[in-house]
Amino acid sequence: MNDPIDSVIKIAGSGLESQSTRLRIVAENLANAQSTGTTPGSNPYARKTVTFESELDQALGVDLVKVKTIGIDKSPFRVEHDPGNPAADSNGIVKFPNVDLLMEMADLREANRSYEANLQVIKQANSLNSMTLDLLRTSS
Amino acid sequence: MIPALPLVTSMFGSSVVSQPLPPAQPAASIAGAPSEFGHVFSQVGEAIDTLKAGESAAISGLQGQTSVQNVVESVMSAERSLQTVVAIRDKVVSAYQTISQMAI
Repeated sequence: MNDPIDSVIKIAGSGLESQSTRLRIVAENLANAQSTGTTPGSNPYARKTVTFESELDQALGVDLVKVKTIGIDKSPFRVEHDPGNPAADSNGIVKFPNVDLLMEMADLREANRSYEANLQVIKQANSLNSMTLDLLRTSS
Repeated sequence: MIPALPLVTSMFGSSVVSQPLPPAQPAASIAGAPSEFGHVFSQVGEAIDTLKAGESAAISGLQGQTSVQNVVESVMSAERSLQTVVAIRDKVVSAYQTISQMAI
């Protein structure tokens, strides 16, 4: 039988890692919000998406969380008329990434909140653990 | 009143003196846990493994090979193991001292 508090910290740790991956994807999307293709008419950067799944930890017998896939958003690209752009096609149309800043900011905030929630779980588990150990110390 | 004393001795005598008690094994029933003080200290191997894992995670974190979450998790796990071992050691030592200072 494993210590539940150990398991709690491991689970919350897997949450931290997953949410930081999500944060990384948001960072990539935001940084590449203006990345066009290099050749005329080519596709720009496509927004990345991240999905999670639960993963059974055999040793502890608990469900951790992990990143399932880092996918590509298939929604249509934003198009602008900009004949001077190197990526413009014969009609002067440039395809820009399908990154919506508002959506990325919402995702960023959600990842942030989720990360904080997992951190709080770790803090609580740690303090419960040390309080329990203090029982052993002070009762003598 | 007076016959009470032989009565007590006979009560204990039948169970304690005439038949020696089997060695007390309260802890041994719990999945082979040690029953002596000295054995407690020989059980710290797993805790030391956790400490070593924490150390190596910290080093690979300094080298940038693992995530900071992983480092924090391993180091905290090592810290908790160490605190548990130290708390149990203190308790065992104080129990030992209590017994060794017992008036005979």
